[in-house]
Amino acid sequence: MAYSDKVVDHYNNPRNVGTLDKSSQEVGTGLVGAPECGDVMRLQIRVNPETQVIEEAKFKTFGCGSAIASSSLATEWIKGRTVEDALAIKNTDIVKELSLPPVKIHCSVLAEDAIRAAIGDWKKKNGVAETETAPAEAKA
Amino acid sequence: MLKVLDSAVPVACWSCSVAHNDATLFCPHCSKIQPPPGGDYFSVFGLEPRLNLDLAALEQEFHRLSRRLHPDRFARAGENEKQWSLADTALLNDAYRTLKDPIHRTEYLLKLHGAEIGDEHSGKDRRDPSRVPADLLEEVFELNMQLEEMRMARSAGETDTELQASLEQAKRKFDGLLEDVDKDLRNEWQAWDEGDDVARKAAQNKMVALLDRRRYLSNLVRDVTETLGA
Repeated sequence: MAYSDKVVDHYNNPRNVGTLDKSSQEVGTGLVGAPECGDVMRLQIRVNPETQVIEEAKFKTFGCGSAIASSSLATEWIKGRTVEDALAIKNTDIVKELSLPPVKIHCSVLAEDAIRAAIGDWKKKNGVAETETAPAEAKA
Repeated sequence: MLKVLDSAVPVACWSCSVAHNDATLFCPHCSKIQPPPGGDYFSVFGLEPRLNLDLAALEQEFHRLSRRLHPDRFARAGENEKQWSLADTALLNDAYRTLKDPIHRTEYLLKLHGAEIGDEHSGKDRRDPSRVPADLLEEVFELNMQLEEMRMARSAGETDTELQASLEQAKRKFDGLLEDVDKDLRNEWQAWDEGDDVARKAAQNKMVALLDRRRYLSNLVRDVTETLGA
């Protein structure tokens, strides 16, 4: 199957590969997997406690090119956003950006799940209540 | 398309016109070959959908039906019967291949009951975290890290005996987990075979989850084996 240029680019030059200190109070870790293909994806964020802005995002993904590209793109997108803002990213945005074919849509779902899991972990660590669809402005 | 056979639907034999159950390959009345029946693979063997099967009996029945369907026997038969002997043989082979393998059989039966197995559903926007073997994720991730390290060491021409030992240990562990899954699956077979509709539904859900876990584990074992054997 032919990958789109953007997928190939992210696959060959993945952005933000790496690890953040899992035990840090400011770091949220999301680990998700797709049973159908055995892909596993870890996405980590470091959040500024004052501004709730994601200042750093790292990922490590074992899986196909689309899974790697999806998580690479996800880290690029969430960096500089507030956590609430980052939650607004939908897997369909990733599909569109990377021109993923239907059989690879689950890779984008995985990336969105990873963002949510990382933010969820950070919120739990910091005692922030889960909000489902809070717009970014709602947070002071 | 898969469907559970409604055995109450009788079909008239093309030759003797006596009504018979649609599932049969041969008319029980006049013994003439029938066009490929529209039922499920179990009914090809005259079986109710079940997960615990007598494999020896299944094999015997497969050989018996194969002989009866053999195209040589229809060399002088009508054109329809010739065609049916080929089509029935193909169906019989598919049915046997599917049913004799415990995992294929389980997947097939679950699909008959509407379950989505493997990557058939991957095109949809689906989120059901219970399907992901979450307890394994941590270990799966660690193992993948080790595998990557191993491959990198390999390509650099080094052998890391410590890493090798660690991977061999991991392989044994995941082999063991695979055996556990198979044991759990067999327990669910029994629950499904002997249960009522409610018990069956519960067993089905458990089996779908177990098959997901199994796929995950067997992919890992394959990767570790490949890396160790490289």
